[in-house]
This record gives sequence, structure tokens and C-alpha cells, in this order.
Amino acid sequence: MKKTQRRHGQETEWKRPAHGQVRVYVWEWPVRFAHWIIFATIVSLSITGYYMHSPFVVPHGRTAYVMGTMRFVHLLSGFAFLGAVLIRIVWMFIGNRWSHWDQFIPVTRKRLKDIAETGKYYGFMVWSPTPHIGHNALAGASYAVMYGLALVEILTGLALYSRILGNRVVSFFFGWLPHLVDIQWLREIHFLVMFVFWMFFIHHLYTAILVSIEEENGVMESIFSGYKFVPEHELRKALAEENDEDAEVLREARPAAEQSSQSRA
Amino acid sequence: MHTLKSPFAARLSPCGGILMHSPRTRLTAALKSRGVSRREFVQFCSSMVATLALPPRYLGAVVKALTQASRPVLVWLEFQDCAGNTESMLRSSNPPVAEFVLDLLSWEYHETLMAGAGKQAEDALERVVREHAGEYIAVVEGAIPTADGGVYCTIGGKAALDIAKHVCSKAAANIAVGACAWDGGLVRSNPNPTGALGLHEAVPGLKNLINLGGCPHNPANTAAVLVHYLTFHDLPALDEYNRPLFAYGDIIHDQCERRAHYDAGRFVEEWGDEGHRKGYCLYKMGCKGPEATYNCPTVRWNDGTSWPVKSGHGCIACASHRFWDTKSPFYKRLPSVPGFGVDVTADEIGWVATAAVGAAMVAQVAGNMVRDKLRPKKTAEETKEPPESRGA
Repeated sequence: MKKTQRRHGQETEWKRPAHGQVRVYVWEWPVRFAHWIIFATIVSLSITGYYMHSPFVVPHGRTAYVMGTMRFVHLLSGFAFLGAVLIRIVWMFIGNRWSHWDQFIPVTRKRLKDIAETGKYYGFMVWSPTPHIGHNALAGASYAVMYGLALVEILTGLALYSRILGNRVVSFFFGWLPHLVDIQWLREIHFLVMFVFWMFFIHHLYTAILVSIEEENGVMESIFSGYKFVPEHELRKALAEENDEDAEVLREARPAAEQSSQSRA
Repeated sequence: MHTLKSPFAARLSPCGGILMHSPRTRLTAALKSRGVSRREFVQFCSSMVATLALPPRYLGAVVKALTQASRPVLVWLEFQDCAGNTESMLRSSNPPVAEFVLDLLSWEYHETLMAGAGKQAEDALERVVREHAGEYIAVVEGAIPTADGGVYCTIGGKAALDIAKHVCSKAAANIAVGACAWDGGLVRSNPNPTGALGLHEAVPGLKNLINLGGCPHNPANTAAVLVHYLTFHDLPALDEYNRPLFAYGDIIHDQCERRAHYDAGRFVEEWGDEGHRKGYCLYKMGCKGPEATYNCPTVRWNDGTSWPVKSGHGCIACASHRFWDTKSPFYKRLPSVPGFGVDVTADEIGWVATAAVGAAMVAQVAGNMVRDKLRPKKTAEETKEPPESRGA
């Protein structure tokens, strides 16, 4: 409906927030902060890590220090990645409803059913996606897998680092791993999981753009601002399903059109 | 430069064993009779102190201990081996590590070296076990087969497993030299048809067991362990695999003379290229230096002449646990991914999978464009918002 409205409405019409939408603060700042740190560190970890696997830079001059720099950046990025992932995991327990751990691990029948529904949409079996305010259950489950893989990278990375460091403390915590899985296989796993992150990145970007177009809820902008624009009835429905009609979030959510007209004034 | 005489040549005495002196003869006397000067003796002691990474002030203690020590009895057992560790011991010429090691101890039994054979040889071993129980040092070379009752290696009609149990359990100290005696080595590598095991697995619960992995062991390390034992009457500090930390505690990569090229990013791209001739890092050629621990770069081989990486070949991590299985392929950086061909690298798998996901996304975009065109108006009407939520 909104789509038709857009297509047939005046230009000035569709630039404004869609009719009946309210602005909901979905992603709190630690979520956004962790998201962008994770993004930035995956980029730098991938570039430096791929170099460390298969050096692709030709060094020049007698004072070249390419591998040394790459390793240094990789280690720094690795610890930043570790910190961001930990922040996000902590926030799964103290954050708002849309950043909660049950958004990732489907424990209710409703979320399990939602996986199938979203799967149907991606499988071209239904015309439109089911609207969601936070993550849909399929996306949430895929993020849960990615957090699991992030922990795999962290664990293998620290085990490899403990080998280099030879530090007793680090070796105590992570030195057991090379005895369980040979260090060559730790490297192999550490390397191959990187490609899963790449695959996830492609898919993540695609679905974000897709949902942004299909649901017109400002999902792309929301990871910068934290706010999504959703029809008020959807927000009420989502809250009612949780028996949480009087939630703070509903009071705070103001009609988006009102807000944008205020900001213009 | 070096005389290539074998220190063992003089030992092949016509009267049977390799014994030149009785176990009660002191080392100094044994060395004196062989014309080794005190200067050479002290040189040997200082090289041992350096190998053990002891402070220089221990030199006096080592010299004193070795001078006064009565030579302990040693038996060298060979099982599923290539005699490579024996060869490694014999090939050192100058300074004559083997010379000292042979004179340091009273070697009563060594199949490859002793002139005696058959019943006389086996009797010599039996006599040591009987007369010197709890006093002698047993060195084991080679893996011990356990499949089918251990029939794949028998000596004098006895299975290797039985010999090892019999001899090693009564020894004061056991030294497993080489990869095979430590963890089964090549013999135990997949598919391991003979059920071969290293000494500590084949004969569990051995006291004073020390593993000197490597293919072969470095005789300098073995000599250093013996010197440590004679000086302090104890084994050196060991790691979780019962290997001495002085030899197996540091990563090869961190001691490598090509490390600066690694840090700079200068690598050998193929054998014989300009980088190879200039001595660049062998990382891209599959060198396992970053994975391996050993004191190879500092102690080196052939009297400190060289070691694999110095001579232009990557490390194969021969002193690492079960390296034949875990560190191969030796000329590739990472193992082959199971379920794919041996020529398929992890890189190729990763790139193809990523490209496949990208292609799937492109297909999705196309599908969505088609769906958008085909989406009936009716569906849009159905999803219309309830009137009460409109307004604002």
C-alpha cells in the first residue's frame, strides 16, 4: 500500500515519513557502537589476516616492516573485536527487548514459526515479508550463529596468540586448545571462518537494503540513529503480544510525521 | 677442515662389545686414555652449559661433576626405527659431541654399534638389567608396535613391547630419542598398520622418562640431558610432553635468522627465485617455523654448521607432536581441507563459497524485482493498515 502511495503520490508527499508511522528507539547506543566496531574490525582483521595468510604486498626499501605492521594491526583489531563482541553479549542481558538474547536464539514457538515464515519470503513463496520491529527470527538465528563463530575466532585467535606470546597467564587460559586441536587446524579454522564472515557481510548488506525497501521502516538509517519507523498498529500489536501494552516505548514513540514537522519548524 | 673419522671406529673392539672401559672407570681416565686434552673437555662442558641455557657460573659445577662421575651404564634399544638417531649421533665430528657422550657413559648395548651379535649381545643386555637394575639409563629409538601382539618388531625372538617393558621399567632414567620413540613418528602416522606407539604410550607409567623428539634428535641436546643428569642427578625442567624446555621451549620462528625478512614482508615465492637466492623468509613455501618449537636455529646440526632453514628449506616441524600427520603438507601453509581434493586450498574454497553467496544474492535481487512486478494489487489492499492507526 505504501509502495503504491509512494509511486502515485506527490514528490513532497513521499519524502515525508509515511502515514501513521511512529518513531521507535530500537538500537541503543551500545548496540550501534558494538555493531560499528565489529564491522570496522572485521574489515581490518580480514585485510591484515589475509595478508598474514598469503602476503600480497610487495615491500619496498630496506626498512620495510609490512608483516610486522600487519600483525600489529591484526592484534589490536582482534582485541577491539573481542571487546565489542563482549559488550554486545553483555547487552543481550541488560539491553532493551530488541537487543535481548531471545531475539537471537529462538526459544518460543512463535519465533520458530517466524523462521519458517521469513524463509518462505526469501524462498519467493509469499508476496511480502512479515513486518518486524527488531530482528526477524531467521535473521536473529543467523546472528546467533555469527556470534558463535565470532567466539570461535576469538578462541582460536587467542590460542594462536598464546603460542607467540609464551605468556604463562595467557597460556594457562588458552594453551590447552592446541593440545585438543593441532595448531595447524586452529589456523585453518581461524582462516576459513573469515570467509563465513565475508559471506555473512554480503548477505547482511543485501537483506538490510531489501528490508529497508520492502518495509520502508528506515532499517538502514536505524543502525546510525537507533530509530526505526514503524506503523503504530504494528508497534501496538508487537507490544500486545508481550502483554506489555503500557510500555515506556509506546509512550516515547511519537508519530514520525509530527517529529519531522517539528524538526522542520 | 674436519677429519671425518668416526669416533666409533676405535670402539669396535675385537673382543665383542663396544666397551672400552669398565663402568667403574672415571670419565677423566677414559678421556685421557683416548688422548682428549683438558682444554677440549672444558670446551665440551661449556658448550653443554650453553645448550642447557645455564648461567656461565655453572661451568665449574659441570666440569667438577663430570670429572668425578663414575660412568653410568647405558643401553640403547632400537625398535621400529631407521637408525637415524644413531646416525645423527655418529655424524658429529668436531667438537666431538659423540666422543664425549660415548665416554661419558658406559655403553653396554647398542645393536648398530656393538660388534657382538646374537646370544652374546642379548646376554649383555640381560646382564645389565640384572646387575644394574635401577642404575642404568635406557635410551629408546624407534616406535613400538602393539597390533597383533606386537609381532611387527621382534628382537631375539622377543617382541619390542616386551623388551621395552622389561628393560625400561628397571632403568634409572629413560630417554626416548627421535620422533618415533616419542610419539610413534613416521611409523605411527596414518594409517599406522602396525599399531605403533611411542614409548610413553606403549609402556605407561615409566619413571624419569624424557622425550627428545625430532627427526632425528639433536645429539647436542641428548648430550646436554646426560650432562645435566650427571651434574645435578636429576632431569632438566620438562614441558607437558616430558621434553626438556631448554630444547623445546621456544618457537623456531622466534629464533630464525630469516625472521627479519618475515617481518619486512620479503618472501620466497618459488624455489630458486631471486628471493630464495637472497635468503628471504620461507613462510610462503610452507615453512612450519611459526608452529614448531625446537632449538634447531641455535644448536644447529653438523657441529653447528647449518640447519634446514639456513640451508634454504622450510622447517617441517619435525620436533612437534605427531608432525607427519599434523604438519603436512610440508610445502603448503595450511592443511588440505577434508572432503576436498588435496590440491584444493582453503583459499580457493573460501573464495568460491563467498562468490557463491554473492551470486545467490544477485539471484535474490532479480527474484525480488520479478516479485515486485508480479505482486498483485489485491495483496497490497489486504495489508492495508486499520483506519484507526492512521492520522497523525
